[in-house]
Amino acid sequence: MRLLLRISGEVLITLGVLILGFGAYLYWGTALGERSAQHALDQELRSEWADPDQLAALTGPGDLGLGQPFAMLRIPQFGPGWQFVIVQGASARQLASGPGHVPGTAMPGQLGNFAIAAHRVTAGDPFWHLPSLRVGSMIDVETISGVYQYQVTRAPRWVAQGDSAALASVPYYPGEPARQRMITLLTSDPFWTGTRVVVTGVLVRTLPRQQGG
Amino acid sequence: MYGWLWHRLPGGTGARLAALAVLVLAVGLLLWYVVYPWASLHLPADPAWLG
Repeated sequence: MRLLLRISGEVLITLGVLILGFGAYLYWGTALGERSAQHALDQELRSEWADPDQLAALTGPGDLGLGQPFAMLRIPQFGPGWQFVIVQGASARQLASGPGHVPGTAMPGQLGNFAIAAHRVTAGDPFWHLPSLRVGSMIDVETISGVYQYQVTRAPRWVAQGDSAALASVPYYPGEPARQRMITLLTSDPFWTGTRVVVTGVLVRTLPRQQGG
Repeated sequence: MYGWLWHRLPGGTGARLAALAVLVLAVGLLLWYVVYPWASLHLPADPAWLG
């Protein structure tokens, strides 16, 4: 009986240490990984943008491989230094490196819904402040072809994890034909809540990209 | 379990402590660089991903 108790105690202590270690990895390890990935993606993006042939080569999402960087996301309300490289794809692997474009949705500036997903509490917490956006907040997306400025048109909304209506061409109206150039930002609440936070906006301005920026 | 491991380590107390430190470091590195990254992609700790 004493041996059994001792072994059980040691197993429980080991499990506790493993779980604490995993928590530390989720908080610090994923943030370090994301920071290093963003640095490499930023270099890759700037070198791609320096090549004028890339503009003609990138015409649609089909031209991008999963994990390939293609745009820069800035939300002025989150501070002047807040910017992330957006990669193609929104699976767990792509979101570990930063915000990801949801395949099947429009590209920046196109008619339809340009949807971006990102983590809220791991991988550098890119969308931690997403619920603080309000109607009128600006969202800037810079690509090789220009800077697309979107304005939030709907306050953050909480939807069920499995609810994909926000990804429709007209967010929340699946089947409706696209009439505007929209943007949708999505992130998750902690897993036990079973909800996502969704922010939608509309394109209000397109500016030329600053060369060498 | 830990008592069994301690008695299996070779040498005196100093050598055992050194071996234990190496063992703990190896397990820690394996967890940090292999097991936890894999688990973070497969466990829904922060399920923002789609697909």
